[in-house]
Amino acid sequence: MTGRSGWLIAGLCTVLLGAAVPSSLAFNPWTFPKLPPPEEYGSLLIDRTSTANNVLPVGFSHWSHRLRHTCRVCHEELGFAMLVNSTEITEKENLQGQFCGACHNGKTAFGHTAEHCRKCHSGTSTLAKKEFARLDSLPRTPFGNKIDWVSALNAGLIKPKQSLRESPSQPMGFNKKLDLESRWAGIPPAVFPHAVHNQWLDCANCHPDIFNIKKKTTEHFEMVFILERKFCGVCHLKVAFPLDDCKRCHPGMKS
Amino acid sequence: MNMNSGKKMLLIGLFAVLAAVIALVPIGMAETFGVKRTAKKPQDYGNVQMDNFTGPKGVAPVVFKHWLHRARYTCRLCHVDLGFAMSRGGTRVTEGDIRAGLYCGACHNGKTAFAGEGTRTGQGKNCDRCHSYGKEVTFSNSFAELTKGFPRARFGNRVDWLKAEELGLLTLKDEIPGLTIKRKSLKKPEDMELRPLNNALPDIIFSHEKHATWNGCELCHPDLFGVKKGASVYTMQDIFGGRYCGACHDKVAFPNMDCQLCHTKEVS
Repeated sequence: MTGRSGWLIAGLCTVLLGAAVPSSLAFNPWTFPKLPPPEEYGSLLIDRTSTANNVLPVGFSHWSHRLRHTCRVCHEELGFAMLVNSTEITEKENLQGQFCGACHNGKTAFGHTAEHCRKCHSGTSTLAKKEFARLDSLPRTPFGNKIDWVSALNAGLIKPKQSLRESPSQPMGFNKKLDLESRWAGIPPAVFPHAVHNQWLDCANCHPDIFNIKKKTTEHFEMVFILERKFCGVCHLKVAFPLDDCKRCHPGMKS
Repeated sequence: MNMNSGKKMLLIGLFAVLAAVIALVPIGMAETFGVKRTAKKPQDYGNVQMDNFTGPKGVAPVVFKHWLHRARYTCRLCHVDLGFAMSRGGTRVTEGDIRAGLYCGACHNGKTAFAGEGTRTGQGKNCDRCHSYGKEVTFSNSFAELTKGFPRARFGNRVDWLKAEELGLLTLKDEIPGLTIKRKSLKKPEDMELRPLNNALPDIIFSHEKHATWNGCELCHPDLFGVKKGASVYTMQDIFGGRYCGACHDKVAFPNMDCQLCHTKEVS
């Protein structure tokens, strides 16, 4: 009798533990986040302390900034984190030339002054539709902003800055293309072109925090985690082209 | 019979614990892989929290600012002559040490630099200037003021400290009278060209001269690096793990994310 009730308890424990495992580990990999309209893809509402200080939150659009600067400028040189509201931006530091204030100083871009408050502290992430409409002439893709930013850059249609420094360092020129084997049978490998990423990013944007530098040593590099904003998903869910564009990474995939 | 079922229960219990561990491990790790660390602010880069003994004493931990000290002194002075370790918590400085003129107390003695006063009475003066963790302290030195006009760098403190020194914007002291024993300088060794293990990357130009200005020879040799060329084989993984160049770079000296500052030579 004691033995049987023991098994019963063990069984119950297992079921309970199974329920405690977070949804991330459950087998439900293909829930892509709902895509906003193209002009709002990559837009953020920054509200770390604004509302608490009776100021409207900041609406930030990635597309208007990536027209002028590569990702590395803000996400490396200026120290912006990869998750909204996790960067401790303060008004004081902006005025001292850090974060937004590196450009928004009245010289490079409009300054942090009373007449310009509402340009950033707009309280909405729906911004500047008119300006976005002017980008219609750029090459198209089916998802995200529906703009093929890489082709636009390669065709010289946009000329984003590589650095805010007077004498920027030369790119590393590491252009190896990787074929990443899929874990699932029947899913063709993903391709990873270093060259395309190097145009926008520093090595350190991804290495070594997100990806190890030694081949095949990055653990848990799987679609389920990418969908949780890890690995490629740090960028390719909300800002860089979204994961809905399967064939762009898995070119051998049948649609 | 009783013994048997008792053993069985024990086994079942162990199984349940094991299942719990297996299930919980990924939850704990979930936050630590596949994401990017948030960069420190320029004024916070290289700051070290010192709290070996502060907790039990009910004193706020010390926030040590490398930027403030490196604007006046070489690295060598504290890390060799004063014996400060290269890792946080590694020195185990006590208040007694400081009062005896060791470590911080070599300068913070009320003569060269301010000293903590009246700490025994609990009506301390100057305490907050070092024991500042978690407190609102108005400091007399401002990072923005001090580094205004200094040549800029991309990362870390966003200050090119080496260039600032070369331009004469910093005057580095390398000596504490009565403590430092000066030897005749060695001839500075030549710069070295290091070939990376991955030959798709540019070669590394290592400047002995630039490093020697701040570190002398003894901060790196022979502990971090052997002196014979090629004797130390290390990878970027080692460096990211805080070994070799990573003993300073990524903690205090410019971070490893500035690849091209070391990997400077064109791939031939």
